[in-house]
Amino acid sequence: MAFDTFVFILVSGIVLGGLYALMAVGLAVVWTTLDVFNFAHGAFVALGAYVAWQVTQFAPGPQGFVFATLAATIFMFVVGFLLHFCLIKPFERSPNIVLLAVITTLAASSIMESSIQLIWGPREKQIEAAVSGRFEFFGAGIGANDLLALVVALAALAGLALFLRRTSTGRAMRAAAQNREAAELMGFNVAILFAVALGIAAATAALAGAFIGSLRFINPTFGADPLMKALVVVIFGGVANFTSPIYAAFILGIIESFSIYYLGLYWAPAVLFALMIAVLIVKPEGLFGNRQKTL
Amino acid sequence: MKYAPPFHHSNGLFPVLVALAVLLVLPLVFTDTYVRHILILVFVYAILASSWDLSLGYGGVFNFAHIAFFAIGLYAYGIGAKIVGIDPWIMILLAPAVAVAFAALLAMPILRLEGIYVILVTIAAAQLVLKIVVSQSDFTGGTSGMVMLPRLTMGDYRLTSDGRIGYYYVALALLGLSTIFLYKLERSALGRAIKALRDNKYYAISRGVSESRIRLFTLCASAVLPGMAGAFYGSYVRVASPDVFGLTFLTLILSVLLVGGVSTIWGPIIAAFVVTIFAEVLAEYGAWRDIIIALVIIGVVLVYPGGLFAGLQELWDFADSRKTALIAAWRRRFRSASRAALMGSGDRMISTSHGDISVFDTGPGPGKPALLFIHGNSSCKEAFHNQVKAFSEKYRIVAFDLPGHGVSRNCDPRADYGYEAYAKIAAEIVEKLELGKPAVFGWSLGGYVALEYAVSGYPISALAICGTSPLGTYPDDMPAAYIASPHMELAGKRFHSWKEKRTYAAKTVPSGAPNAELVRQSVWRTDGRAREQTVAKMKTVDWPRQIRLLREGAVPFAMINGTEDPFINHDYCAAFGYANIWRGSPQNVDGGGHAPFLANPDEFNRVLGAFLEEGGSASEQ
Amino acid sequence: MSAALLQLSGLSGGYPPVSVFRNVNLTITGTEAIGLFGPNGHGKTTLLKTVAGLLDPWQGEILFAGQRLNSEGSMRARISRHLNYDLFRRRKIRARDVVRAGLIYVMQGNLLFPEMTVGEVLDIAQRAASGRQGVGEMRDTVHDLFPRLRERWQSKIRFLSGGERQMVSIAVGLLALPRLLILDEPTLGLSPKLRLELAESIARIRDTKVPLLVVDQNVEFLTDLVDRLYLFDHGTVTAEIDKAHMPSHDEILAMMFGSGQ
Repeated sequence: MAFDTFVFILVSGIVLGGLYALMAVGLAVVWTTLDVFNFAHGAFVALGAYVAWQVTQFAPGPQGFVFATLAATIFMFVVGFLLHFCLIKPFERSPNIVLLAVITTLAASSIMESSIQLIWGPREKQIEAAVSGRFEFFGAGIGANDLLALVVALAALAGLALFLRRTSTGRAMRAAAQNREAAELMGFNVAILFAVALGIAAATAALAGAFIGSLRFINPTFGADPLMKALVVVIFGGVANFTSPIYAAFILGIIESFSIYYLGLYWAPAVLFALMIAVLIVKPEGLFGNRQKTL
Repeated sequence: MKYAPPFHHSNGLFPVLVALAVLLVLPLVFTDTYVRHILILVFVYAILASSWDLSLGYGGVFNFAHIAFFAIGLYAYGIGAKIVGIDPWIMILLAPAVAVAFAALLAMPILRLEGIYVILVTIAAAQLVLKIVVSQSDFTGGTSGMVMLPRLTMGDYRLTSDGRIGYYYVALALLGLSTIFLYKLERSALGRAIKALRDNKYYAISRGVSESRIRLFTLCASAVLPGMAGAFYGSYVRVASPDVFGLTFLTLILSVLLVGGVSTIWGPIIAAFVVTIFAEVLAEYGAWRDIIIALVIIGVVLVYPGGLFAGLQELWDFADSRKTALIAAWRRRFRSASRAALMGSGDRMISTSHGDISVFDTGPGPGKPALLFIHGNSSCKEAFHNQVKAFSEKYRIVAFDLPGHGVSRNCDPRADYGYEAYAKIAAEIVEKLELGKPAVFGWSLGGYVALEYAVSGYPISALAICGTSPLGTYPDDMPAAYIASPHMELAGKRFHSWKEKRTYAAKTVPSGAPNAELVRQSVWRTDGRAREQTVAKMKTVDWPRQIRLLREGAVPFAMINGTEDPFINHDYCAAFGYANIWRGSPQNVDGGGHAPFLANPDEFNRVLGAFLEEGGSASEQ
Repeated sequence: MSAALLQLSGLSGGYPPVSVFRNVNLTITGTEAIGLFGPNGHGKTTLLKTVAGLLDPWQGEILFAGQRLNSEGSMRARISRHLNYDLFRRRKIRARDVVRAGLIYVMQGNLLFPEMTVGEVLDIAQRAASGRQGVGEMRDTVHDLFPRLRERWQSKIRFLSGGERQMVSIAVGLLALPRLLILDEPTLGLSPKLRLELAESIARIRDTKVPLLVVDQNVEFLTDLVDRLYLFDHGTVTAEIDKAHMPSHDEILAMMFGSGQ
C-alpha cells in the first residue's frame, strides 16, 4: 500500500471517528445520568440533520451552514429537554424503568421519523457544505469539509468536557448521575438536570447529523445506522469515563476505514460488530471501562 | 412461593375455552382471505411476543435479539427448503434448532452482563447476523431477500387453498402449542428458578440455582418458538427479507408485549389481537398511522404500565369485590329474618372508625356479664348461633361480622382489613354497647384478633381462643404451629374458584353436616381482599407482644380446640409455655374439627361454660 | 406554647402499599439535640427520608419553623395497583423545599458521589447555598471540624475510608447552613477509633448550637450527646425520655424488648 493511500485511509478513519464520538457521547451521557438506553438517539441525529437542511434552504452559503448547525443544535436541545418529561420522568420511580424507557424511546423515534417523512418527504437530501475543496496532506487529498467536521466535533467534545468538569451545573449533573437521592438532598432539581442531560445528548446528535448531512445523503430513516454505530462505540469503549467512548470512537473509525479498504463495504460492519462482541466476552465493561457508573 | 392452582381449577379456564372455541369457528364464519390473513399474522405476533416474555419478563434478561431468532428461523427455512431442498415440514422442525444454536452462542457474552449492557449486546448481535445475511447475497439474496420460498402442502393439498384455511389452523395450532409450552414451563421447577433469578439473583444463586445454566436455558427455550414461527412465516408469505431484523418490526412486537403486560402468558396474546387489528384499521393513513400507534403505545405505557392483562385482572378484581358487597347488601336487606330466626334476635349496624359493622347483641340484663365472640377467616357471626342459645340466659352475648364478612360492609383493604383494625373495631363495639370488661372468645383468625385485642390494653376479663396456634415468631413458627395443607394457602387467596370455595368450606365443616350451608354461604360472601390482607399482614403483627401476654398470664386464658382440627398442631399448642392457662393445658373437644362449636356444640359449650364460670367470672357490668 | 422547630404530628408513611411507620409524633424546640433509638428495620430511615422530602407522607403534617413542609390532605388509597400514580398525583413534599427551609438530612451509609473529588463535592455544596448569610463562617467551621478533608481535597470519594466519607457527608450537610441537622446512623460500620473521633466531631457540632436529630445504634453515644431521646419501635414512637431521666443501655433495651427474654 502506498503511503498516501495509508494516510488517506487513516485520516478518513479519524474523521469518521470524530463523528462517531459526537454520536456516542450523547448516548453515553444519557446512559450514565438517566440509567436508560435512548433508542431515539438515531432519530435525534436525523431530525437534527433535517432541521439544519431546512435552515440552509433559507440561508445558503457558508454562513448559512454555521447558522443552520447552531439552529439545529439549539432546537434539538429543546426537543431533548422536553422529551425527558414525556418519556422518562413519569417512570423515575418504577422498578421497570429500563424496559419502559426502551419502549417509549423507540416509540418517540418512530414518531420523529414519521414526522420527518410527513414534513420533508421520503426523498434523499444533502446539506450544502460550509467549505469545499481539498488539500494535500502527505500526498493524500483530504476534503476540507471532512476536516471541518473533525475540528468542530473535537471542539464540541472539549466544550462538553469543560461544562461537566468545571461549571457548577455540570458538576451538579454529574452528582445527580452518581447518586440521585444525595443530589436531591443537596437541594438540586434533579428532574431539570436530567432533562439537560437529554437535551445535551440531542444537541450533540444534531451537530453530528448536520455534518453527516453535509458529507452524504440523508433520508428519514438514516438515523438507524448512526444509532448502531454509536451503540458499538459505547459498548466497545465502555462508559466509565466521559473520555472512554471518545477513544473507542476513533479506534473504531480507523478500523472501519481500513476494513472497508481491505474487505469491502459489506464486510466492514460485520467486522465491527464481531470485534465488539469479542471485546464483550473478554472485558464486558468495555475496553476502557470499569464497572462503576460515572459521568 | 405463591400458591397457584392448576389451570383446570382456576377461574381462567372458562374464558380460555371460549376463546379457543371462537378461534376454531371464526374462519368458518369469515371466509374472507384478508381476515384470515390478519388473524394468521396475529397468531405469529402472539407467539413471538409471548415467547419473548420468557426471557424479558420471567427471566429479566433484556434480550433484544429475540426478533433475530425469528429472522434466523425464517432464513433457515428459506435456505433449507429452497436451496438445499429439504421438505418444508421438516424444515419447520429444523429451523428452531438453528435459532436455538444461535441463542446458545448469544448466551456466551450475555452471561457476564447485566441490565442495559444486555440490551446493547443483543441488539448488536442481531445487527451482526443482519450484516452477515446481507453480505452472503449468494444464499440469502442480500438486501433484496429471498423470494418464492416453498409453501406447505399436505399430500397434494395446498394449505393456501380454500382461502388459506390450512395456514390458519396450522398457525392456531402453533399458538396453542406455544401457549401450552410456556404455561408448563412457567409452572415447572425450571420456570421457578428462572423467576427466582430475576427476583433476587444472589439469593437464588445461594440456594443453588446456577445462574449461567438457567440463563442459557432461558435463552434457548425462548428461541424455540420464534424459530418455528419464523419458518412457518417463511412458508406462508414465501419471502425472507432483511426487514425482519429492523427496529420497526422489533418495536411492533415489543409494543405487543408491553401493551399486553410483561410476565404474563395471556397478556401478549390478547394484545396481539388488539395491536394488529388497530394497526390494520389505520393502514390507509401512511406515516400518520405510525405516529398514532406510537402515541397510543406511549400513552398506555405512561398511564398504565401494567398493560392490558393487568387491566383485565383489575376489572375482574373490582367486579369480584362488587359482587361480595352486593351479596352482603342483599342479605342485609332481605335475609335479616332468617338470621334472626337462627340467632334468636336481629342484628344492627354500628358505625366504627373502620366502617359499618353488623352487630348482634342479646342486650343488657341485670348481673349478666358480657361475652364477645370474634369469628374466623371467611366466616360470619352466625357461626356462633349454638353458643347464643346456650349462654344467653347467663350472659350478654355480643358477636359481630368483621368488615368484608357476613353482612358488614366491604371496606378499604389497606386500612380496615387487618389485626389492629379488627381489634379496634371490637374495642369500639365494647365501648359503644357499654360492655365493661367482657370475656372474649376468638376463633381461628378471630383468635389472633382476640389476642391483639388483649395486648392492646382494651378492657377484657377473660380470653378464650379456638383453632389458633400462638406464634412466637412469624413465619418461623408456622411450620410447627400448623399442619401444612393446601387449605392454608386458600386462607390467604383472594379469588377462589367455585371448587376452591367448596374445598375451603368443607375443611371447616364437612359438606352434608349441619351448618355446612351456613359456612359455605359465608365463604361466598367474604371479600377476597380481606383474606389476602389478613394473611399478608401476619408479617406485621407484633407476635412477641402476644406471646408475652400468654407467658406472663395477665389475663385468664383458655384454649379449646377440636381434637380433629385439620390445621393446628396439638403438640405445639400443648408444649407452649403458658403462665396461666385454664386447667393447665389446652382443652380438646372430642370430634370437633376446626369449628368444634359448630360440630359438637354441647360438649364445647360445657367446656366454655366451665371456663367462664371458673376462670373468667370476674367480668362485671 | 413555645414555637417548635420541627413538629411531626400523626405522621404516617411508607412505600405504597406497604405502610412502614404510623402516627409518629415528635417535637424539637429551640436548639435541642434529639436522639432516636430503635431496632433495625422498624422504619426510622423511612421516617427520616419522608421528613427530608424523598418520600411522600401518607398522613399527618410536618411543621418546620412554623412552615408546613408537606401539602394538605392525606394520601388517598390506591384503587389500582398498576396505574402510574406518579403521572397524576403531585408530590406532597419536595426535597428541594425542605433543604431550602433549612432542614438538612445526612443519609445513612452514604456513598455520596463516588467519582467526584472531595473538593468538587464541597464546592457544589457551598455554591448551592451561596449568597446566604454565614456561608463563609460555615466553611471555616467545616475546615476546622474536619481538617482531614483538606488533605484529601483531590481524592475521589470512592477512595476515601468510611469515616472520611461520613465526614464529607456531614460537611455537605453543614455547608447547606442547617437550621436542623439530621444525622442517620453517622457511626454505622466504623471502627471503634473512628467512631470515637466522629462522635467527638458531632459533639463539637453540638457546641455550635446547631439543633440535631441523631439516629444511632450506640446508646452511650446518644445518651451523652442528646437532650432528649425518643424510642422508636414497630413503626412508631413508643417513649420519650428526658436527659434528667436518661436510663442506662440495659434499661433501654429492657424497655424496648421486654425483660426476661
